[in-house]
Amino acid sequence: MCLLTAFSVFANDASNTVWQKIQNQGKNQSVYFYAWGGDAQINAYIQWAAQQVKAKYNINLVHVKLSDTSEAVSRVLAEKSANNHTQGSVDLIWINGANFAAMSKHGLLLKDWADKLPNFIYTNPENNPSVLFDFGLPTQGMEAPWGQASLTFYYDTLATSAPPQTLNELLSWSKANPGRFSYPKPPDFLGMSFLKYALVVLHQHSDAMLQAKLNQPVSDENTAQVLDSLWAFLNKLHPNLWRNGEYFMQSGVQMRRLIDDTELSIGFTFSAPEVPAAVKRYDLPKSIRSYAMQDGSLSNTHFVAIPYNASHAQSAQLVANFLLSPAAQAHKQKPAIWGDKTVLIQTSLTAEQQALFKAVKPHPSALPLNSIKRTLSEPHPSWVEAINTSWEARYGTSQ
Amino acid sequence: MSKVLHTADLFSRLVKITPYCLLALLTIPVLGGLIGVMLPAFGWAPALNKTNMSLAGFNALWDTPGLSQMIGLSIRTGLISTLIAFALMIIMLAAFFNSVWLKRIEHLLSPTLVIPHAAAAIAVSFLIAPSGLFTRLFSPWLTGWQLAPEGSLPYDTFGWSIIIGLVLKELPFLLLIALGILAQPELGKKLRKQHQIAVNLGYYPMVAFFKVVLPNLYPLLRLPIFAVLAYASASVEMPLILGPNTPPTLAVAIMHWFNDVDLTLRIKASAGALLQLAITVGLLLIWLLLEKVIAIVFSQSLINGRRHYAHQLVRTFTYVFTCVILAFIAAALIGLVLWSVAGYWRFPDTLPSSLVLLHFENAFTHIHTPLFNTFVIGFVSTGFATILVLLCLEAEQITAKPLSKWAQIIIYLPLLVPSIAFLFGIVWLQQLLNSQHAFFNVIFVHLLFVLPYVFLSIADSYRRLDPRFARVAASLGASPWKVFFQVKLPQLFAPILIAMALGLAISFGQYLSTLLAGGGRIATITTEAVTLANGASRRTSAVYAILQMGLPLLGFILAWGLPRYVFNNKQL
Repeated sequence: MCLLTAFSVFANDASNTVWQKIQNQGKNQSVYFYAWGGDAQINAYIQWAAQQVKAKYNINLVHVKLSDTSEAVSRVLAEKSANNHTQGSVDLIWINGANFAAMSKHGLLLKDWADKLPNFIYTNPENNPSVLFDFGLPTQGMEAPWGQASLTFYYDTLATSAPPQTLNELLSWSKANPGRFSYPKPPDFLGMSFLKYALVVLHQHSDAMLQAKLNQPVSDENTAQVLDSLWAFLNKLHPNLWRNGEYFMQSGVQMRRLIDDTELSIGFTFSAPEVPAAVKRYDLPKSIRSYAMQDGSLSNTHFVAIPYNASHAQSAQLVANFLLSPAAQAHKQKPAIWGDKTVLIQTSLTAEQQALFKAVKPHPSALPLNSIKRTLSEPHPSWVEAINTSWEARYGTSQ
Repeated sequence: MSKVLHTADLFSRLVKITPYCLLALLTIPVLGGLIGVMLPAFGWAPALNKTNMSLAGFNALWDTPGLSQMIGLSIRTGLISTLIAFALMIIMLAAFFNSVWLKRIEHLLSPTLVIPHAAAAIAVSFLIAPSGLFTRLFSPWLTGWQLAPEGSLPYDTFGWSIIIGLVLKELPFLLLIALGILAQPELGKKLRKQHQIAVNLGYYPMVAFFKVVLPNLYPLLRLPIFAVLAYASASVEMPLILGPNTPPTLAVAIMHWFNDVDLTLRIKASAGALLQLAITVGLLLIWLLLEKVIAIVFSQSLINGRRHYAHQLVRTFTYVFTCVILAFIAAALIGLVLWSVAGYWRFPDTLPSSLVLLHFENAFTHIHTPLFNTFVIGFVSTGFATILVLLCLEAEQITAKPLSKWAQIIIYLPLLVPSIAFLFGIVWLQQLLNSQHAFFNVIFVHLLFVLPYVFLSIADSYRRLDPRFARVAASLGASPWKVFFQVKLPQLFAPILIAMALGLAISFGQYLSTLLAGGGRIATITTEAVTLANGASRRTSAVYAILQMGLPLLGFILAWGLPRYVFNNKQL
């Protein structure tokens, strides 16, 4: 604790003048925050954050609601192709995984700022590498961590009383209940997450060499080796899926709608608090319950990043720093607000700051506290493309 | 006096250049946008560090698994839906021509024009899905189903669901356009008289319609039909929500490629956009060919003197079909309203277990800015379009030269070229011009889509205005400006308001164009609705669909009511 304080004092000294400058220049501006806008709870949280930075820095935080984050990626790309290198329309973007990999590959992101944010110290980066890596790729200071999510399953208790607890049980459950389960069509984020969960679980008993390949970039030799077990599993699963696996849902929201319609009995989400929120909004029946798979929950960190040509890069850093503050992170973690898990490490916080995070009794349909027994980390982002291409060739044209 | 002459000249000169401005305004962005898509299609994309022209994009496109199925689905759904919508429109017109029912059907169908495609698709999917309203009516008391059964609609591989959705949207559009044409005083009167004469000569009314009215009516319907066909072959919303996705239609696939995180896919997407353009043009040519074939096949029967063809059967069929369609539309609207106030509504309940206003309340807390943006963009683009169109039509009369056939087609250009093929290019152009004003960009792109409809809506009334009023006014010494402003415009008050209401409705409904041109910064009711339809519930979508219908409806009610109010006052 002593060491930590010493370190933070030192860090503060070194970057004090730089941060002071950012603070002075970043005030009184607008920040265009491009973030997925499909969830009312998350939108409300961003509105709350906007009020906070307005009061703190007189920053006008504008939430540009995306239906797909890649829309913002194409925006920045179009600006780069038109030689607009300083007046970009995107100031801050909510991002992770493949979108980050694509933006960083094409040099579309501002570098070396995130790890210099004063509040970054609370993530304890030395002992918490998840804030420095996005799907295995080093963030190189291009992204400030914002929250953590895990794949959470939910089911309709009126339709099935014993939901499957492992990937193998899911297969046998589907055989017994044909047409009551499916997953969104990749490259949809959630559908891809299901495939990655299956892939990682299928390799849980493989030898270490093979398992290690999941964390390395795809190569011509290892593709078949790693993915064959996934295709074998899907070949068995698909005939029992909803619509016999000949049509796949577009998104997780469509899946939620189909569960509400009782066409499906089991669903999953990357945003666990979405489930109780949907029940409260009448979008899911009261008979819904959430749970975590026993063979592991795929987990990842999500971030905010600043495009290289952002018009208000300094203001965006002030906002990113605010989003990392204990107050903002604690507010976000409340189940009634968003329920997104904090990226801050409790031991780096003062007692007063820790008190902000105290738990509240969850909704009956929410994921019970501490039910995630085992987290599975994301494979290298290049696997997304490999899975997607082969999936499209195998199952994309079913007629 | 000299001052008056001077302003008169200025006005006439201004009027004379407007047609050129109009044509430039329509062609430059569309063609520029096409070039903006063509360059990356042939491998020129500096942002991706690709500056060598190549066919790699096309090679990647040909290698796409299921490409032929995508093309087949696009052609099938585009052509069949347009054929069905056209055929139904014609037999409905024929069966109810000169009857009071035509007016009633028009009133019933008009509101459906303003339902956005996405909302209509959601409403249709709720009707035909295995868990939809129709199965709920019979479950569980008849079927015993406690959970929704398995089914094949929507998302069927042939595309019937897309066809149903498109027909329900396009039929009212075509019917209202046809009724608009028939409402023209001279033409309508002439056709009605000829129809009456044919009936007096012993032709059955429907036969008289086909032999006498249709040949005169069809040429005026051709361009609107082309717009429908072009739209149906390349639209995204309907196939996305109702269609299959292994594989989807070509337009949907292109949109996914444009939006993919793998940025190099954009080259393939651009190549695909050109292929889509070729398919749409091909479909228009097929339609023209069908026209020719039908004209040849039926040329004899026009003058063969036969007075009836299974008349009773066709009429019964038409009545049944009209009822089915009206019932379907009514059920879809009822479904939308129910969802917007539904509490828990689990299958197999026919009605929601409770009614709540929560969904409306939630929507109203977020709606101020989008509502403001929607109005500003709608009124500015419609206002500008109306002024431009009026000046352009005045130019026609001043120079006594009607717009050429080509000019007519150019006005339709933004409706004939699939928007997925040129919108991405327009955004690139706007970037190139470094145009940072999102509001201006959005208004400009809206103008492209609003102009054709406003033009269509006013042109005939303007051209059919009795020229003697203008001549009398001019001979009394009124300047051209005064004639235009004080003689012509007041007479056109009602049609101008209707055109503006239509323009507003078109602007309100724009999704892809608002999103792309505004860089996502400009939220309107429609962009919010589609974003939420992607991320939220059917209940929220229903609320937004109702709001989207309400706004243009308000415009139309004003357009119908205002002239009556004004003229009543004048009479007093």
